[in-house]
Amino acid sequence: MELRFKGVSKQYGDVLAVDNVSYSMETGVYGLLGVNGAGKTTLMTMLCAVTRPTAGEITWDGKDIFRLGERYRDLLGYLPQNFGFYPDLSVSDYMMYIASIKGIRPDTAKKRIKELLEMVGVSKYKGRKMKTLSGGMARRVGIAQAMLNDPKILVLDEPTAGLDPNERIRFRNLISGLAEDRLVLLSTHIVSDVEFIAEQIILMKDGKFFFTGTSEELTSGMEEGVWSCTVPSDKVNQYMQKYPVGNVKHVSGGVELRLLSKTPPSENAVREEATLEDVFLLYFGEKAGDEDAEI
Amino acid sequence: MLKFEWKKFFSKGINKVILFVLLMGTVILGFVPVSRVQYVDVDGKKPTGITRITAGHRLVADKNRWQGELTPEKITNIAESYHEIMQRYQGDYPETEYGRTVQSYWDIVFWASSMYTTDIDGALANMNRLAEKDIAHIYDAYADNLQKMAEEYGNTPEQEKFLAEKYKEIKTPVAYEACDSWQGMSEYIAFYSLILVIVIGFLTAGIFEEEFRNHAELIFFTAKYGRSKAVRSKIAVGMLATTIIYWAGIGILLLISFVTMGLGGFDTPYQFEYPYSFYVITQGQSYLLIVIGGYIACLLSASVTMLVAAKMHTVKLAVSLPFLMYYGLIFLSRPLSKVTNVFCFTTDVLIDIDRALRHPHIFQIGNVVFRQVPFVIALYAIVSIVLLPFIYRSYSRFDDAKLPLKKQKQYARHSPVR
Ligand SMILES: Nc1ncnc2c1ncn2[C@@H]1O[C@H](COP(=O)(O)OP(=O)(O)OP(=O)(O)O)[C@@H](O)[C@H]1O
Ligand SMILES: [Mg+2]
Repeated sequence: MELRFKGVSKQYGDVLAVDNVSYSMETGVYGLLGVNGAGKTTLMTMLCAVTRPTAGEITWDGKDIFRLGERYRDLLGYLPQNFGFYPDLSVSDYMMYIASIKGIRPDTAKKRIKELLEMVGVSKYKGRKMKTLSGGMARRVGIAQAMLNDPKILVLDEPTAGLDPNERIRFRNLISGLAEDRLVLLSTHIVSDVEFIAEQIILMKDGKFFFTGTSEELTSGMEEGVWSCTVPSDKVNQYMQKYPVGNVKHVSGGVELRLLSKTPPSENAVREEATLEDVFLLYFGEKAGDEDAEI
Repeated sequence: MLKFEWKKFFSKGINKVILFVLLMGTVILGFVPVSRVQYVDVDGKKPTGITRITAGHRLVADKNRWQGELTPEKITNIAESYHEIMQRYQGDYPETEYGRTVQSYWDIVFWASSMYTTDIDGALANMNRLAEKDIAHIYDAYADNLQKMAEEYGNTPEQEKFLAEKYKEIKTPVAYEACDSWQGMSEYIAFYSLILVIVIGFLTAGIFEEEFRNHAELIFFTAKYGRSKAVRSKIAVGMLATTIIYWAGIGILLLISFVTMGLGGFDTPYQFEYPYSFYVITQGQSYLLIVIGGYIACLLSASVTMLVAAKMHTVKLAVSLPFLMYYGLIFLSRPLSKVTNVFCFTTDVLIDIDRALRHPHIFQIGNVVFRQVPFVIALYAIVSIVLLPFIYRSYSRFDDAKLPLKKQKQYARHSPVR
């Protein structure tokens, strides 16, 4: 079980969406982190054999995935970033349809659908039309359809986008439950989505993998320290310009900042333990994710 | 797989609405032939209100007084009666007389008159001149005229021989049975087909568009059979739906005609209506040819729109093609078929078989002479099947990167989950 990228690039006109990526993945959860436009989706569509790389090769156990064709897609479960479905089908008819195009026999499919809908917690909506589901519910069905064929390779493109904080946590747990004995590649621009469940983290920027490793490797590899200090309100801008600043919190007597610096930024600064969020801040130069990500 | 694709097709809200409207339209159309029936009873009264529903049956029963072989003797009797009435009322007989006698044999008088002339429009004028002493030789006069037709329309010795042979197959005396219901239905099939080619084109194109419309294509094409069997079952559903929708519609029309007018006269020769047509078939068979033409038109419409939708990922261009293929061409080809033979083979002929059966178009390649109707039907039946592998090819080779970015951005905006 090895999925390998060898010098994979994808060019759209003059945009190099994926730039000469070489990497190898086995079982486990891989978190693909990057800002908008980093090339995550492009990488994933190539990995799902929907788009051919302009250069390089993607192999599964040494064989080109485009050559493997049907045999490769049989191993694949995919939740695209823009998960679309057939609005007029009921949840169970939708699942039966996907099962049929995945080549699962109807009687086997029925059992499997029952299990999966229970697992993702939508069984009580199984008779409802897909279009009447809320975004979160639909995504759960999206995960369930990806799991139908018990895929060896599960590709989830921003599965938590647009979910509320509670739902986000539930998803995280759900996904880590799915990770046994398969390769899960999960893309997100929200650090907390992958911080605890991904064994390997891939930071992607401008089409390149510029850091790969475990969460600890990432944080310990940082040369900058993480500091927390309280500064007067009128100095905040000054600090913001000088250092990458994460959290900003108004407290009595000024503003508490969390920032990155090689040396203590002020006398009262306290050294904090680095988290993945800080790494993200350092490399991407912006605060990771959105408000929801704080959970 | 086919089953679920089928279910998906019929679960689509828009499809349900369209099919329901189509069903209503079909039922209404089914009553058109009987509503057009002009029946006058022995008291000279036209049926009103609900009794109009059964007028067809009564008209057919009235005409069937003359059922059986139209021998010269029988025709003589009719002509005598007709002339006597014309004389008695100086050509302006009252409705009671029409209801009592003329109505029952009017078709026969018209037919008999046209036996003496190859010019259909001249037949009416002939009617009053229908001389009783000539009627004994009516079938000889007809045979002479057929010979003239063969000479006139056979441009080469092969064509002439072909026509003469065809005409020889016409059996005389003509066996008559009132066939108003087949004639009535035949008239509306072209109209019905014109609607169906559009509806079916739209419905079947939707099978290939919906993955894109719903942004479901990535899941579709990454499924194990998404580039093979699943595409084939889409094509199969398209063809199957076309077949079922078309024939169910025809079935409904037939059923309504059966109830309102009966289906008698299937075996009445087509030559009873058009004596010089070289399609030696019965009324029922001519109806079947018209219906088959409509069916092939729908199949072709389905293949073409599916192909275009599979390529373009939208139905917009796809659904406009049936308009061109049928509506557009019909206006062009009617006048232009007189100028060039090419327009005898255009797609619109499929929904205009009724006309093609009446008009003497024959063609020749080498020594082989062939007629328009079977050729056009066979040609487009083959074309609609030959297109299928291309639909498969272009759909199963989908590559996401080929979608213009603008479209992808649109997808992102309209994504059901934001
Ligand atoms: N079909 C396409 N045609 C042209 N350019 C494209 C196409 N698809 C993607 N791109 C470009 O490739 C780059 C990478 O896009 P991609 O969607 O892979 O990023 P991403 O990391 O998934 O971003 P996001 O977080 O917004 O989903 C972007 O600059 C994008 O504009
Ligand atoms: Mg993306």
